[in-house]
Amino acid sequence: MKNKRENKLYWRRLDNSAKIFPISAGKKYSTVFRLSVVLKEKIEPKILEEAVNQALEKYKSFQVKMKPGFFWYYLEHNPKLPIIEEEQDYPCKYIDARHNNNYLFKVTYFQNKINIDIFHSLTDGNSGTIFFKEIIYTYLELMHPEVLDEEERRIRKIDYNTEDSYMKNYDKKAKSNASGKKAYVLKGKKIKLGARSVIHEIIDLEGLKKESKKERVTITQYLTAVLIYSIYQENYVKAKGKRPIKVCIPVNLKKFFSSKTMSNFFSYITVEAQMKKDNLDTFEKILDFVKKDFHKRLTQEEIIKTMSTNVKIGNNPFIRPIPLVVKKAIVRLSYLEIRKYTTTTFSNIGRIGILGKYKDYIDYFLMLIAPEPVEKIKCSSCTFENKMVFTFTSILQDNRVEKRFYEFLKEKGIKIEIESNGVLDDISRKSKSKEK
Amino acid sequence: MIYPEKVKAKKSDKIIKILIGVSIGIAVILLLINKLTTPSIPWAALANSGILYSWVVVIYSIKKNVNIAGHVLLQTIALSMLTVYIDYKLGFKGWSINIAIPIMIIIANITMLVLTIVSYKKYIKYAIYQLIIVLFSMLPIVLMTENMVEEKTISMIASGISILNFLLCLMLCAKDMKEAIIRKFHM
Repeated sequence: MKNKRENKLYWRRLDNSAKIFPISAGKKYSTVFRLSVVLKEKIEPKILEEAVNQALEKYKSFQVKMKPGFFWYYLEHNPKLPIIEEEQDYPCKYIDARHNNNYLFKVTYFQNKINIDIFHSLTDGNSGTIFFKEIIYTYLELMHPEVLDEEERRIRKIDYNTEDSYMKNYDKKAKSNASGKKAYVLKGKKIKLGARSVIHEIIDLEGLKKESKKERVTITQYLTAVLIYSIYQENYVKAKGKRPIKVCIPVNLKKFFSSKTMSNFFSYITVEAQMKKDNLDTFEKILDFVKKDFHKRLTQEEIIKTMSTNVKIGNNPFIRPIPLVVKKAIVRLSYLEIRKYTTTTFSNIGRIGILGKYKDYIDYFLMLIAPEPVEKIKCSSCTFENKMVFTFTSILQDNRVEKRFYEFLKEKGIKIEIESNGVLDDISRKSKSKEK
Repeated sequence: MIYPEKVKAKKSDKIIKILIGVSIGIAVILLLINKLTTPSIPWAALANSGILYSWVVVIYSIKKNVNIAGHVLLQTIALSMLTVYIDYKLGFKGWSINIAIPIMIIIANITMLVLTIVSYKKYIKYAIYQLIIVLFSMLPIVLMTENMVEEKTISMIASGISILNFLLCLMLCAKDMKEAIIRKFHM
């Protein structure tokens, strides 16, 4: 009997946010985000494999595969081990479980860099970072056992669960004030053959902090304003845009509610800049608007309203009994329209804290989110020590928005460097040779 | 440099797409030859149904997460459809529903029974497929009530074995079956 109980198959429902992702995801809408760490030494694949397996032992909630139920997908224990490979494909690509031992995350490496691509149904950026940090700690301990001792880390108890914190914290009576207006959609030719451009802008945190302090805004508010300004200057004006530029900012709900869940627990606010109506034609005006809009939207009351509205959709007694195949067909047909309510997304996961000695082996962290046919550019950022990396992932052939963003910060006297995956360099090289 | 210079797409998907294209090409050529040479005998349609069946099995097998009970279910349903199609193309003598489908149902149920007895601890993985096989095994009874079956004995044996198999599984693994139903049908 005891044996039988041990063999009982672990499974869990998807949390409220996660339900939508497998229904809508595909090659065009991967809903995958990536976390990368650039170390100061070359990656040893065998050690990395061992580190991932050890980390999975501690974070069992990641050792799962996705299975279809009659009404919803669910997660079930995966007895296989994950496949660790050298990076070959573009980042944040759709994770095809068939090629991945059914895992919903994929660990790859390239020279000094370790990547983890995570399907959003599994978890959000915040909990993904916790798991990724465990992989990094374990990897460094295996690489440098004489310097780094796991015992020091063991004092910190790993305490988490997989509860659906949305269900626990939502307010049945709350109503969202979200605007029903469609957003400006970025214009431009798309990159062909499923390629995507990645541009990392590595920003000196001290310089950025000084500049934001001067303007009495937070770093996220400042960068959101620079992003809106860059889009306005390089895409909106040239395409004679009319609709508002709407930037979706994911919010970590663990900051507002006490939760130890490793499942998704995030919501978002949408900054809606009516460029013409509010006469937002200079950076100063945009910054002032962003600051006020953040104050208005980033309150516990507003966050609960948005979160509760989304929970109520997933919990609707008329939606729940619809068979999964029908849900899939409806969502896929309407998804392109649903996405038209956002111009772009900017996700800032903030500072990634690393314990003492481990820091010496790390250069910086990266975060990337997948662009989509409607949101052709997506932005993300994370901070390690004094390096904040702001990343543009894009399927547009021109990189004027990215350039303008870079030049703006440079003009403000902030130290900034660029790293990229070279996709747009190739395109501009080809178009130059055609012109000749 | 933090990204590889040339990123490659997964090759296996491309190979499958090429092979599907080749299969469609062969199917069209066979149909043309059939139409031009012996239009009275539908041999190309039979050959093409074989090609289609092979693809169903291949694509299903590529999915590494499919368990053995899933294969039993797929083979039972796909082969049943194939035999009905061949029977229909050859003038529908009824051998598919009289003999072929009941025999396949008997084999499927015996296979599931063996699976249950040999590895009943893993039964929770098979439970949902077992339920679908039992439901499918009721097909001969439906056909009998519609008076479509002439040879009733073998059909009754097939559905009877299926019911017995189901009862035995209920006795052995009722909890697992309940758990599987909760998992698959949670709202």
